[in-house]
Amino acid sequence: MTFSEFLSDRMEQIIRKLATAGGSAFFLLACGTQPGVILLLFTILLLVQLFALILEFQRCRSRLAELEAVLQGLDQKYLFAECAPLPRTCYEKRLFALMRRAGRSMTSAVSDAQTSQKEYREYVESWVHEIKTPITAARLICQTLEGEARRKLLAELTQIDAHVQRALFYARAESPEKDFLIQKTPLASLVAAAIQEHQALLIQNNIRLETKDLEHEVYTDRKWAIFVLGQLLQNSSRYRSETPFIILEALHLGNQIQLLVRDNGIGIPSHELARVCQRGFTGTNGRSRGGSTGMGLYLCQKLCGFLEIDFSISSEEGTGTTVLLTFPAKKNLTKL
Amino acid sequence: MQKIMIIEDDPVIRQELSLLLETEGYQAWAVTDFASVPDQTMVYAPDLILLDLGLPGQDGWSVCAAIRKRMQVPIIFVTSRDSAMDELRALNLGGDDYITKPYNIPVLMARIKTVLRRTGKGGEAEILEACGLRLHLTRGTLEVQGQTAELTRNEIQILACLMKRCGEIVSRADLIDTLWDNQIYIDDNTLSVNMTRLRTKLAHLGLSDCIRTRRGLGYQL
Repeated sequence: MTFSEFLSDRMEQIIRKLATAGGSAFFLLACGTQPGVILLLFTILLLVQLFALILEFQRCRSRLAELEAVLQGLDQKYLFAECAPLPRTCYEKRLFALMRRAGRSMTSAVSDAQTSQKEYREYVESWVHEIKTPITAARLICQTLEGEARRKLLAELTQIDAHVQRALFYARAESPEKDFLIQKTPLASLVAAAIQEHQALLIQNNIRLETKDLEHEVYTDRKWAIFVLGQLLQNSSRYRSETPFIILEALHLGNQIQLLVRDNGIGIPSHELARVCQRGFTGTNGRSRGGSTGMGLYLCQKLCGFLEIDFSISSEEGTGTTVLLTFPAKKNLTKL
Repeated sequence: MQKIMIIEDDPVIRQELSLLLETEGYQAWAVTDFASVPDQTMVYAPDLILLDLGLPGQDGWSVCAAIRKRMQVPIIFVTSRDSAMDELRALNLGGDDYITKPYNIPVLMARIKTVLRRTGKGGEAEILEACGLRLHLTRGTLEVQGQTAELTRNEIQILACLMKRCGEIVSRADLIDTLWDNQIYIDDNTLSVNMTRLRTKLAHLGLSDCIRTRRGLGYQL
Protein backbone atom coordinates (compact mmCIF):
# COMPACT_ATOMS: atom_id res chain seq x y z
CA MET A 1 0.00 0.00 0.00
CA THR A 2 1.41 3.33 -1.02
CA PHE A 3 0.79 6.61 0.80
CA SER A 4 -1.32 7.97 -2.06
CA GLU A 5 -3.54 4.87 -1.97
CA PHE A 6 -3.89 5.37 1.75
CA LEU A 7 -4.80 9.04 1.23
CA SER A 8 -7.35 8.29 -1.44
CA ASP A 9 -8.98 5.83 0.95
CA ARG A 10 -9.34 8.63 3.53
CA MET A 11 -10.19 11.41 1.10
CA GLU A 12 -13.78 11.70 2.30
CA GLN A 13 -12.65 12.05 5.91
CA ILE A 14 -10.00 14.65 4.99
CA ILE A 15 -12.46 16.74 3.00
CA ARG A 16 -14.93 16.59 5.88
CA LYS A 17 -12.26 17.80 8.31
CA LEU A 18 -11.19 20.63 5.98
CA ALA A 19 -14.81 21.70 5.57
CA THR A 20 -15.31 21.74 9.36
CA ALA A 21 -12.09 23.72 9.81
CA GLY A 22 -13.18 26.19 7.08
CA GLY A 23 -16.59 26.58 8.76
CA SER A 24 -15.00 27.18 12.17
CA ALA A 25 -12.58 29.73 10.70
CA PHE A 26 -15.47 31.63 9.13
CA PHE A 27 -17.32 31.56 12.47
CA LEU A 28 -14.26 32.77 14.39
CA LEU A 29 -13.65 35.54 11.84
CA ALA A 30 -17.26 36.62 12.22
CA CYS A 31 -16.84 36.64 15.99
CA GLY A 32 -13.93 39.07 15.57
CA THR A 33 -10.94 36.80 16.14
CA GLN A 34 -7.78 38.13 14.59
CA PRO A 35 -6.84 36.47 11.25
CA GLY A 36 -3.27 35.84 12.54
CA VAL A 37 -4.57 33.73 15.44
CA ILE A 38 -6.83 31.77 13.09
CA LEU A 39 -3.89 31.11 10.74
CA LEU A 40 -1.76 29.88 13.65
CA LEU A 41 -4.55 27.63 14.92
CA PHE A 42 -5.02 26.34 11.42
CA THR A 43 -1.36 25.51 10.95
CA ILE A 44 -1.20 23.65 14.27
CA LEU A 45 -4.36 21.73 13.46
CA LEU A 46 -3.01 20.80 10.03
CA LEU A 47 0.30 19.57 11.46
CA VAL A 48 -1.42 17.48 14.13
CA GLN A 49 -3.75 15.92 11.57
CA LEU A 50 -0.91 15.22 9.18
CA PHE A 51 1.12 13.61 11.91
CA ALA A 52 -1.83 11.44 12.94
CA LEU A 53 -2.36 10.39 9.33
CA ILE A 54 1.27 9.39 8.87
CA LEU A 55 1.16 7.43 12.10
CA GLU A 56 -1.94 5.58 11.03
CA PHE A 57 -0.40 4.86 7.67
CA GLN A 58 2.65 3.38 9.34
CA ARG A 59 0.50 1.23 11.58
CA CYS A 60 -1.59 -0.05 8.67
CA ARG A 61 1.48 -0.84 6.67
CA SER A 62 3.24 -2.77 9.40
CA ARG A 63 0.04 -4.71 10.10
CA LEU A 64 -0.23 -5.67 6.44
CA ALA A 65 3.44 -6.65 6.36
CA GLU A 66 2.90 -8.84 9.42
CA LEU A 67 -0.07 -10.62 7.81
CA GLU A 68 1.87 -11.00 4.58
CA ALA A 69 4.72 -12.65 6.48
CA VAL A 70 2.33 -15.08 8.16
CA LEU A 71 0.89 -16.02 4.77
CA GLN A 72 4.33 -16.44 3.27
CA GLY A 73 5.29 -18.80 6.07
CA LEU A 74 2.28 -21.02 5.54
CA ASP A 75 2.52 -24.22 3.55
CA GLN A 76 -1.20 -24.44 2.95
CA LYS A 77 -2.26 -20.87 2.21
CA TYR A 78 -5.93 -21.60 2.75
CA LEU A 79 -5.28 -22.08 6.45
CA PHE A 80 -4.42 -18.38 6.75
CA ALA A 81 -7.47 -17.40 8.77
CA GLU A 82 -6.59 -19.98 11.40
CA CYS A 83 -3.04 -18.75 11.81
CA ALA A 84 -3.28 -14.97 11.42
CA PRO A 85 -2.68 -12.81 14.57
CA LEU A 86 -5.87 -11.70 16.24
CA PRO A 87 -7.28 -8.29 15.25
CA ARG A 88 -7.40 -5.32 17.61
CA THR A 89 -10.22 -3.10 16.47
CA CYS A 90 -13.84 -4.02 16.70
CA TYR A 91 -14.47 -3.56 12.98
CA GLU A 92 -11.46 -5.62 12.04
CA LYS A 93 -12.62 -8.31 14.46
CA ARG A 94 -15.92 -8.61 12.63
CA LEU A 95 -14.22 -8.80 9.25
CA PHE A 96 -11.87 -11.40 10.63
CA ALA A 97 -14.73 -13.50 11.94
CA LEU A 98 -16.33 -13.41 8.50
CA MET A 99 -13.10 -14.46 6.84
CA ARG A 100 -12.73 -17.29 9.30
CA ARG A 101 -16.19 -18.60 8.58
CA ALA A 102 -15.50 -18.53 4.85
CA GLY A 103 -12.11 -20.14 5.45
CA ARG A 104 -13.57 -22.91 7.57
CA SER A 105 -16.09 -23.79 4.94
CA MET A 106 -13.32 -23.91 2.35
CA THR A 107 -11.05 -25.96 4.60
CA SER A 108 -13.73 -28.55 5.09
CA ALA A 109 -14.45 -28.60 1.34
CA VAL A 110 -10.73 -29.08 0.63
CA SER A 111 -10.38 -31.84 3.18
CA ASP A 112 -13.50 -33.57 1.83
CA ALA A 113 -12.00 -33.43 -1.65
CA GLN A 114 -8.70 -34.74 -0.36
CA THR A 115 -10.36 -37.61 1.44
CA SER A 116 -12.43 -38.59 -1.55
CA GLN A 117 -9.38 -38.39 -3.78
CA LYS A 118 -7.44 -40.56 -1.40
CA GLU A 119 -10.26 -43.06 -1.18
CA TYR A 120 -10.52 -43.13 -4.95
CA ARG A 121 -6.81 -43.71 -5.26
CA GLU A 122 -6.98 -46.52 -2.74
CA TYR A 123 -9.89 -48.02 -4.61
CA VAL A 124 -8.01 -47.83 -7.93
CA GLU A 125 -5.00 -49.47 -6.33
CA SER A 126 -6.99 -52.29 -4.78
CA TRP A 127 -8.95 -52.71 -7.99
CA VAL A 128 -5.72 -53.04 -9.92
CA HIS A 129 -4.56 -55.71 -7.53
CA GLU A 130 -7.89 -57.53 -7.84
CA ILE A 131 -7.86 -57.49 -11.62
CA LYS A 132 -4.39 -58.96 -11.70
CA THR A 133 -5.63 -62.30 -10.41
CA PRO A 134 -8.03 -62.97 -13.31
CA ILE A 135 -5.41 -61.73 -15.79
CA THR A 136 -2.93 -64.20 -14.33
CA ALA A 137 -5.50 -66.97 -14.47
CA ALA A 138 -6.26 -66.12 -18.11
CA ARG A 139 -2.55 -66.20 -18.91
CA LEU A 140 -2.26 -69.63 -17.36
CA ILE A 141 -5.28 -70.89 -19.28
CA CYS A 142 -3.74 -69.54 -22.49
CA GLN A 143 -0.79 -71.77 -21.84
CA THR A 144 -2.98 -74.81 -22.51
CA LEU A 145 -4.00 -73.43 -25.91
CA GLU A 146 -1.97 -73.96 -29.05
CA GLY A 147 -0.65 -71.83 -31.87
CA GLU A 148 -2.13 -68.66 -33.26
CA ALA A 149 -5.06 -68.32 -30.86
CA ARG A 150 -2.71 -68.43 -27.89
CA ARG A 151 -0.41 -65.84 -29.35
CA LYS A 152 -3.26 -63.48 -30.14
CA LEU A 153 -4.89 -63.91 -26.75
CA LEU A 154 -1.58 -63.36 -25.00
CA ALA A 155 -1.10 -60.16 -26.98
CA GLU A 156 -4.57 -58.99 -25.93
CA LEU A 157 -3.87 -59.87 -22.32
CA THR A 158 -0.65 -57.90 -22.52
CA GLN A 159 -2.68 -54.94 -23.77
CA ILE A 160 -5.09 -55.25 -20.85
CA ASP A 161 -2.16 -55.48 -18.50
CA ALA A 162 -0.59 -52.37 -20.02
CA HIS A 163 -3.78 -50.37 -19.46
CA VAL A 164 -4.06 -51.63 -15.91
CA GLN A 165 -0.43 -50.72 -15.23
CA ARG A 166 -0.99 -47.21 -16.50
CA ALA A 167 -3.99 -46.79 -14.20
CA LEU A 168 -1.94 -47.97 -11.26
CA PHE A 169 0.99 -45.73 -11.99
CA TYR A 170 -1.30 -42.78 -12.59
CA ALA A 171 -2.75 -43.29 -9.14
CA ARG A 172 0.74 -43.69 -7.71
CA ALA A 173 2.20 -40.65 -9.39
CA GLU A 174 -0.14 -38.53 -7.27
CA SER A 175 1.57 -39.46 -4.01
CA PRO A 176 4.79 -41.16 -4.96
CA GLU A 177 6.60 -41.06 -1.62
CA LYS A 178 4.59 -44.10 -0.57
CA ASP A 179 6.40 -46.58 -2.67
CA PHE A 180 9.51 -46.22 -4.53
CA LEU A 181 12.86 -47.42 -3.54
CA ILE A 182 16.06 -46.29 -5.21
CA GLN A 183 18.51 -49.13 -5.50
CA LYS A 184 21.60 -49.96 -7.46
CA THR A 185 20.28 -51.93 -10.42
CA PRO A 186 21.93 -53.43 -13.49
CA LEU A 187 20.66 -51.52 -16.52
CA ALA A 188 20.64 -54.69 -18.62
CA SER A 189 18.19 -56.36 -16.27
CA LEU A 190 15.83 -53.38 -16.41
CA VAL A 191 15.86 -53.46 -20.19
CA ALA A 192 15.43 -57.25 -20.28
CA ALA A 193 12.45 -57.08 -17.91
CA ALA A 194 10.77 -54.32 -19.92
CA ILE A 195 11.29 -56.26 -23.16
CA GLN A 196 9.99 -59.42 -21.56
CA GLU A 197 6.79 -57.70 -20.52
CA HIS A 198 6.21 -56.57 -24.07
CA GLN A 199 7.56 -59.58 -25.86
CA ALA A 200 4.25 -60.57 -27.45
CA LEU A 201 3.65 -57.06 -28.74
CA LEU A 202 7.16 -56.65 -30.13
CA ILE A 203 7.24 -60.03 -31.87
CA GLN A 204 3.78 -59.56 -33.26
CA ASN A 205 4.88 -56.34 -34.90
CA ASN A 206 8.02 -58.04 -36.19
CA ILE A 207 10.28 -55.48 -34.60
CA ARG A 208 14.03 -55.93 -34.79
CA LEU A 209 15.45 -55.18 -31.39
CA GLU A 210 19.02 -54.35 -30.62
CA THR A 211 20.63 -53.85 -27.25
CA LYS A 212 24.09 -52.33 -26.96
CA ASP A 213 26.55 -51.73 -24.12
CA LEU A 214 24.05 -52.18 -21.33
CA GLU A 215 26.59 -53.48 -18.79
CA HIS A 216 26.19 -50.56 -16.42
CA GLU A 217 24.56 -50.04 -13.08
CA VAL A 218 22.11 -47.28 -12.37
CA TYR A 219 20.45 -45.94 -9.24
CA THR A 220 16.73 -46.10 -9.65
CA ASP A 221 13.52 -47.84 -8.66
CA ARG A 222 13.25 -51.04 -10.64
CA LYS A 223 9.53 -51.20 -11.10
CA TRP A 224 9.10 -47.59 -12.08
CA ALA A 225 12.00 -47.65 -14.50
CA ILE A 226 10.67 -50.83 -16.11
CA PHE A 227 7.28 -49.19 -16.46
CA VAL A 228 8.83 -46.15 -18.16
CA LEU A 229 10.85 -48.32 -20.56
CA GLY A 230 7.73 -50.34 -21.26
CA GLN A 231 5.83 -47.21 -22.27
CA LEU A 232 8.61 -46.31 -24.69
CA LEU A 233 8.59 -49.80 -26.21
CA GLN A 234 4.81 -49.61 -26.58
CA ASN A 235 5.07 -46.26 -28.33
CA SER A 236 7.79 -47.50 -30.66
CA SER A 237 5.65 -50.52 -31.54
CA ARG A 238 2.53 -48.50 -32.08
CA TYR A 239 4.12 -45.82 -34.26
CA ARG A 240 6.35 -48.17 -36.22
CA SER A 241 7.43 -47.92 -39.84
CA GLU A 242 7.45 -50.63 -42.51
CA THR A 243 10.65 -52.33 -41.33
CA PRO A 244 10.71 -51.38 -37.68
CA PHE A 245 13.65 -51.52 -35.33
CA ILE A 246 14.30 -50.35 -31.79
CA ILE A 247 17.78 -49.81 -30.43
CA LEU A 248 18.47 -49.60 -26.72
CA GLU A 249 21.92 -48.29 -26.04
CA ALA A 250 23.73 -46.97 -22.99
CA LEU A 251 26.13 -44.02 -23.04
CA HIS A 252 28.41 -42.42 -20.49
CA LEU A 253 27.99 -38.79 -19.56
CA GLY A 254 30.55 -37.98 -16.92
CA ASN A 255 29.60 -40.20 -14.01
CA GLN A 256 26.05 -40.49 -15.22
CA ILE A 257 24.59 -43.23 -17.39
CA GLN A 258 22.33 -42.39 -20.27
CA LEU A 259 19.97 -44.80 -21.93
CA LEU A 260 19.07 -44.12 -25.52
CA VAL A 261 15.87 -45.65 -26.87
CA ARG A 262 15.84 -45.08 -30.59
CA ASP A 263 13.36 -46.26 -33.19
CA ASN A 264 12.83 -45.71 -36.90
CA GLY A 265 9.12 -45.12 -36.54
CA ILE A 266 6.90 -42.51 -38.13
CA GLY A 267 8.18 -39.82 -35.78
CA ILE A 268 6.46 -36.84 -34.22
CA PRO A 269 5.69 -33.60 -36.13
CA SER A 270 8.07 -30.90 -34.89
CA HIS A 271 5.29 -28.54 -33.82
CA GLU A 272 3.83 -31.24 -31.58
CA LEU A 273 7.10 -32.36 -30.02
CA ALA A 274 6.93 -29.88 -27.17
CA ARG A 275 3.47 -31.07 -26.19
CA VAL A 276 3.76 -34.87 -26.38
CA CYS A 277 4.39 -35.12 -22.64
CA GLN A 278 1.27 -33.18 -21.74
CA ARG A 279 -1.50 -35.07 -20.06
CA GLY A 280 -4.05 -36.33 -22.56
CA PHE A 281 -2.20 -35.05 -25.63
CA THR A 282 -2.67 -37.49 -28.50
CA GLY A 283 -1.36 -35.57 -31.51
CA THR A 284 -1.99 -36.26 -35.20
CA ASN A 285 -0.36 -39.71 -35.04
CA GLY A 286 -2.40 -40.76 -32.05
CA ARG A 287 -5.62 -39.55 -33.62
CA SER A 288 -5.00 -41.09 -37.02
CA ARG A 289 -4.03 -44.50 -35.60
CA GLY A 290 -6.38 -44.60 -32.67
CA GLY A 291 -5.79 -46.29 -29.37
CA SER A 292 -3.71 -43.46 -28.00
CA THR A 293 -4.55 -42.45 -24.46
CA GLY A 294 -2.23 -39.47 -24.21
CA MET A 295 -1.11 -40.80 -20.85
CA GLY A 296 2.02 -42.82 -21.61
CA LEU A 297 4.57 -40.07 -22.09
CA TYR A 298 2.89 -37.86 -19.51
CA LEU A 299 3.39 -40.58 -16.92
CA CYS A 300 6.92 -41.26 -18.13
CA GLN A 301 7.93 -37.68 -17.62
CA LYS A 302 6.22 -37.43 -14.28
CA LEU A 303 7.70 -40.65 -12.91
CA CYS A 304 11.13 -39.75 -14.26
CA GLY A 305 10.82 -36.49 -12.37
CA PHE A 306 10.43 -38.40 -9.09
CA LEU A 307 13.27 -40.74 -9.96
CA GLU A 308 15.45 -37.75 -10.92
CA ILE A 309 15.91 -39.18 -14.37
CA ASP A 310 16.32 -36.54 -17.02
CA PHE A 311 13.80 -37.30 -19.74
CA SER A 312 14.26 -35.84 -23.18
CA ILE A 313 12.63 -36.70 -26.44
CA SER A 314 13.64 -35.80 -29.97
CA SER A 315 12.11 -36.81 -33.22
CA GLU A 316 12.04 -36.21 -36.91
CA GLU A 317 8.90 -36.95 -38.86
CA GLY A 318 9.35 -39.99 -41.06
CA THR A 319 12.78 -40.85 -39.62
CA GLY A 320 12.18 -41.92 -36.06
CA THR A 321 12.05 -40.94 -32.43
CA THR A 322 14.79 -40.99 -29.82
CA VAL A 323 14.24 -40.83 -26.10
CA LEU A 324 17.20 -40.11 -23.87
CA LEU A 325 17.00 -41.08 -20.22
CA THR A 326 19.81 -39.71 -18.08
CA PHE A 327 20.03 -41.61 -14.82
CA PRO A 328 21.29 -39.67 -11.80
CA ALA A 329 24.76 -40.32 -10.46
CA LYS A 330 24.66 -41.70 -6.95
CA LYS A 331 26.04 -38.62 -5.27
CA ASN A 332 23.50 -36.37 -6.96
CA LEU A 333 20.52 -38.23 -5.60
CA THR A 334 18.64 -36.23 -3.02
CA LYS A 335 16.01 -38.78 -2.09
CA LEU A 336 18.26 -41.75 -1.58
CA MET B 1 10.62 -85.55 -9.36
CA GLN B 2 10.72 -82.21 -7.61
CA LYS B 3 7.75 -81.27 -5.51
CA ILE B 4 6.29 -77.79 -5.68
CA MET B 5 3.68 -76.63 -3.25
CA ILE B 6 1.21 -73.97 -4.35
CA ILE B 7 -0.31 -71.75 -1.68
CA GLU B 8 -2.81 -69.63 -3.56
CA ASP B 9 -6.41 -68.71 -2.83
CA ASP B 10 -7.73 -68.28 -6.35
CA PRO B 11 -9.07 -71.68 -7.45
CA VAL B 12 -8.56 -71.08 -11.19
CA ILE B 13 -4.92 -70.10 -10.78
CA ARG B 14 -4.40 -72.98 -8.39
CA GLN B 15 -5.75 -75.50 -10.85
CA GLU B 16 -4.07 -74.10 -13.96
CA LEU B 17 -0.75 -73.61 -12.25
CA SER B 18 -0.78 -77.22 -11.00
CA LEU B 19 -1.51 -78.42 -14.52
CA LEU B 20 1.24 -76.28 -15.97
CA LEU B 21 3.82 -77.37 -13.40
CA GLU B 22 2.94 -80.99 -14.03
CA THR B 23 3.41 -80.62 -17.78
CA GLU B 24 6.77 -79.01 -17.03
CA GLY B 25 7.81 -82.12 -15.15
CA TYR B 26 7.24 -81.13 -11.54
CA GLN B 27 5.01 -82.70 -8.98
CA ALA B 28 2.55 -80.02 -7.93
CA TRP B 29 0.43 -79.91 -4.84
CA ALA B 30 -2.01 -77.11 -4.12
CA VAL B 31 -3.13 -76.17 -0.64
CA THR B 32 -6.91 -75.86 -0.32
CA ASP B 33 -7.23 -75.59 3.44
CA PHE B 34 -5.52 -72.45 4.67
CA ALA B 35 -5.98 -73.06 8.37
CA SER B 36 -2.86 -75.14 8.93
CA VAL B 37 -0.52 -74.32 6.10
CA PRO B 38 2.75 -74.75 8.05
CA ASP B 39 1.68 -78.23 9.26
CA GLN B 40 0.77 -79.27 5.76
CA THR B 41 4.14 -78.04 4.58
CA MET B 42 5.85 -80.31 7.09
CA VAL B 43 3.85 -83.28 5.90
CA TYR B 44 4.28 -82.66 2.19
CA ALA B 45 7.94 -81.59 2.45
CA PRO B 46 8.13 -79.72 -0.87
CA ASP B 47 11.30 -78.70 -2.69
CA LEU B 48 9.85 -75.28 -3.39
CA ILE B 49 6.86 -73.23 -2.29
CA LEU B 50 4.94 -70.72 -4.41
CA LEU B 51 3.29 -68.44 -1.88
CA ASP B 52 0.57 -65.87 -2.52
CA LEU B 53 0.55 -62.91 -0.16
CA GLY B 54 -3.19 -62.33 -0.07
CA LEU B 55 -4.56 -65.43 1.61
CA PRO B 56 -7.94 -65.76 3.29
CA GLY B 57 -7.81 -65.25 7.02
CA GLN B 58 -4.12 -64.47 7.25
CA ASP B 59 -1.43 -62.87 5.19
CA GLY B 60 1.42 -64.55 3.41
CA TRP B 61 3.96 -62.85 5.68
CA SER B 62 2.94 -64.80 8.75
CA VAL B 63 2.65 -68.01 6.76
CA CYS B 64 6.17 -67.48 5.44
CA ALA B 65 7.52 -66.77 8.91
CA ALA B 66 5.78 -69.86 10.34
CA ILE B 67 7.13 -72.11 7.61
CA ARG B 68 10.61 -70.63 7.97
CA LYS B 69 10.57 -71.38 11.67
CA ARG B 70 10.10 -75.08 11.00
CA MET B 71 11.99 -75.85 7.83
CA GLN B 72 14.39 -74.43 5.30
CA VAL B 73 12.59 -74.60 1.98
CA PRO B 74 12.91 -72.16 -0.89
CA ILE B 75 9.92 -69.83 -1.05
CA ILE B 76 8.92 -67.76 -4.06
CA PHE B 77 6.38 -65.05 -3.35
CA VAL B 78 3.81 -64.71 -6.09
CA THR B 79 1.57 -61.75 -5.53
CA SER B 80 -0.38 -58.93 -7.06
CA ARG B 81 0.98 -56.50 -4.48
CA ASP B 82 3.89 -54.86 -6.15
CA SER B 83 5.08 -51.99 -4.02
CA ALA B 84 8.79 -51.75 -3.37
CA MET B 85 8.20 -52.09 0.37
CA ASP B 86 6.32 -55.36 0.00
CA GLU B 87 9.13 -56.77 -2.09
CA LEU B 88 11.78 -55.70 0.38
CA ARG B 89 9.80 -57.18 3.24
CA ALA B 90 9.36 -60.47 1.39
CA LEU B 91 13.06 -60.80 0.75
CA ASN B 92 13.89 -59.82 4.32
CA LEU B 93 11.57 -62.52 5.60
CA GLY B 94 13.66 -65.05 3.77
CA GLY B 95 11.80 -65.29 0.49
CA ASP B 96 14.03 -66.52 -2.32
CA ASP B 97 12.29 -64.57 -5.05
CA TYR B 98 9.39 -62.22 -5.56
CA ILE B 99 7.23 -62.37 -8.66
CA THR B 100 4.33 -60.05 -9.34
CA LYS B 101 1.11 -61.02 -11.03
CA PRO B 102 0.29 -61.12 -13.84
CA TYR B 103 3.49 -62.92 -14.65
CA ASN B 104 4.73 -64.26 -17.93
CA ILE B 105 4.60 -68.02 -17.75
CA PRO B 106 8.11 -68.55 -19.19
CA VAL B 107 9.43 -66.04 -16.65
CA LEU B 108 7.82 -67.90 -13.78
CA MET B 109 9.27 -71.18 -15.02
CA ALA B 110 12.71 -69.69 -15.41
CA ARG B 111 12.59 -68.23 -11.89
CA ILE B 112 11.51 -71.57 -10.43
CA LYS B 113 14.42 -73.25 -12.19
CA THR B 114 16.86 -70.62 -11.00
CA VAL B 115 15.76 -70.87 -7.38
CA LEU B 116 15.88 -74.68 -7.46
CA ARG B 117 19.36 -74.59 -8.96
CA ARG B 118 20.59 -71.96 -6.53
CA THR B 119 19.32 -73.87 -3.54
CA GLY B 120 20.98 -77.03 -4.81
CA LYS B 121 17.74 -78.81 -5.55
CA GLY B 122 18.62 -79.61 -9.13
CA GLY B 123 17.77 -77.72 -12.25
CA GLU B 124 18.40 -77.83 -15.93
CA ALA B 125 20.67 -80.49 -17.27
CA GLU B 126 23.94 -79.35 -18.79
CA ILE B 127 23.78 -81.86 -21.56
CA LEU B 128 20.74 -82.28 -23.74
CA GLU B 129 20.38 -85.53 -25.63
CA ALA B 130 17.72 -86.20 -28.25
CA CYS B 131 17.32 -87.52 -31.78
CA GLY B 132 20.87 -88.85 -31.75
CA LEU B 133 22.39 -85.45 -30.94
CA ARG B 134 24.31 -84.47 -27.82
CA LEU B 135 24.25 -80.77 -27.01
CA HIS B 136 26.53 -79.38 -24.31
CA LEU B 137 24.65 -76.29 -23.17
CA THR B 138 27.45 -74.86 -21.05
CA ARG B 139 30.30 -75.65 -23.42
CA GLY B 140 28.32 -74.69 -26.49
CA THR B 141 29.26 -77.73 -28.51
CA LEU B 142 27.32 -80.30 -30.45
CA GLU B 143 28.43 -83.92 -30.55
CA VAL B 144 27.33 -86.41 -33.18
CA GLN B 145 28.94 -89.82 -33.42
CA GLY B 146 32.27 -88.69 -32.02
CA GLN B 147 32.42 -85.51 -34.11
CA THR B 148 31.95 -82.10 -32.51
CA ALA B 149 31.05 -78.66 -33.76
CA GLU B 150 30.99 -75.32 -31.97
CA LEU B 151 27.71 -73.43 -32.03
CA THR B 152 26.87 -69.79 -31.38
CA ARG B 153 24.48 -68.71 -28.63
CA ASN B 154 21.57 -68.33 -31.04
CA GLU B 155 22.22 -71.69 -32.69
CA ILE B 156 22.37 -73.46 -29.33
CA GLN B 157 19.01 -72.06 -28.30
CA ILE B 158 17.40 -72.92 -31.63
CA LEU B 159 18.73 -76.45 -31.56
CA ALA B 160 17.88 -76.92 -27.89
CA CYS B 161 14.32 -75.85 -28.54
CA LEU B 162 14.00 -78.31 -31.43
CA MET B 163 15.63 -81.09 -29.43
CA LYS B 164 13.32 -80.61 -26.46
CA ARG B 165 10.41 -81.21 -28.78
CA CYS B 166 12.13 -83.89 -30.85
CA GLY B 167 9.91 -85.19 -33.63
CA GLU B 168 7.33 -82.45 -33.18
CA ILE B 169 6.82 -79.55 -35.54
CA VAL B 170 8.02 -76.33 -33.93
CA SER B 171 6.59 -73.18 -35.49
CA ARG B 172 8.82 -70.22 -36.32
CA ALA B 173 6.82 -68.12 -33.91
CA ASP B 174 7.47 -70.61 -31.10
CA LEU B 175 11.19 -70.56 -31.89
CA ILE B 176 11.26 -66.78 -31.82
CA ASP B 177 9.37 -66.80 -28.51
CA THR B 178 11.86 -69.19 -26.97
CA LEU B 179 14.81 -67.15 -28.14
CA TRP B 180 13.30 -63.97 -26.76
CA ASP B 181 12.75 -65.74 -23.45
CA ASN B 182 16.52 -66.22 -23.44
CA GLN B 183 17.13 -62.56 -24.22
CA ILE B 184 18.02 -63.13 -27.83
CA TYR B 185 15.90 -60.62 -29.69
CA ILE B 186 15.77 -61.90 -33.24
CA ASP B 187 13.25 -61.20 -35.94
CA ASP B 188 11.95 -63.40 -38.70
CA ASN B 189 14.85 -62.70 -41.09
CA THR B 190 17.55 -63.27 -38.51
CA LEU B 191 15.95 -66.58 -37.62
CA SER B 192 16.22 -67.68 -41.24
CA VAL B 193 19.88 -66.68 -41.34
CA ASN B 194 20.63 -68.55 -38.11
CA MET B 195 18.73 -71.57 -39.34
CA THR B 196 20.79 -71.70 -42.53
CA ARG B 197 24.04 -71.48 -40.54
CA LEU B 198 22.90 -74.18 -38.15
CA ARG B 199 22.01 -76.45 -41.06
CA THR B 200 25.42 -75.87 -42.65
CA LYS B 201 27.13 -76.88 -39.41
CA LEU B 202 24.94 -79.96 -39.12
CA ALA B 203 25.73 -80.82 -42.74
CA HIS B 204 29.45 -80.73 -41.88
CA LEU B 205 28.73 -83.36 -39.26
CA GLY B 206 27.04 -85.47 -41.92
CA LEU B 207 23.48 -84.58 -40.94
CA SER B 208 22.35 -82.64 -43.96
CA ASP B 209 18.57 -83.13 -43.72
CA CYS B 210 18.43 -83.28 -40.01
CA ILE B 211 16.13 -80.27 -39.62
CA ARG B 212 13.23 -80.48 -42.00
CA THR B 213 11.22 -77.48 -43.10
CA ARG B 214 7.52 -78.13 -42.95
CA ARG B 215 6.10 -75.52 -45.26
CA GLY B 216 3.60 -73.28 -43.53
CA LEU B 217 4.03 -75.11 -40.23
CA GLY B 218 7.58 -74.77 -39.02
CA TYR B 219 10.60 -76.96 -38.41
CA GLN B 220 10.95 -80.55 -37.35
CA LEU B 221 13.99 -82.36 -36.04
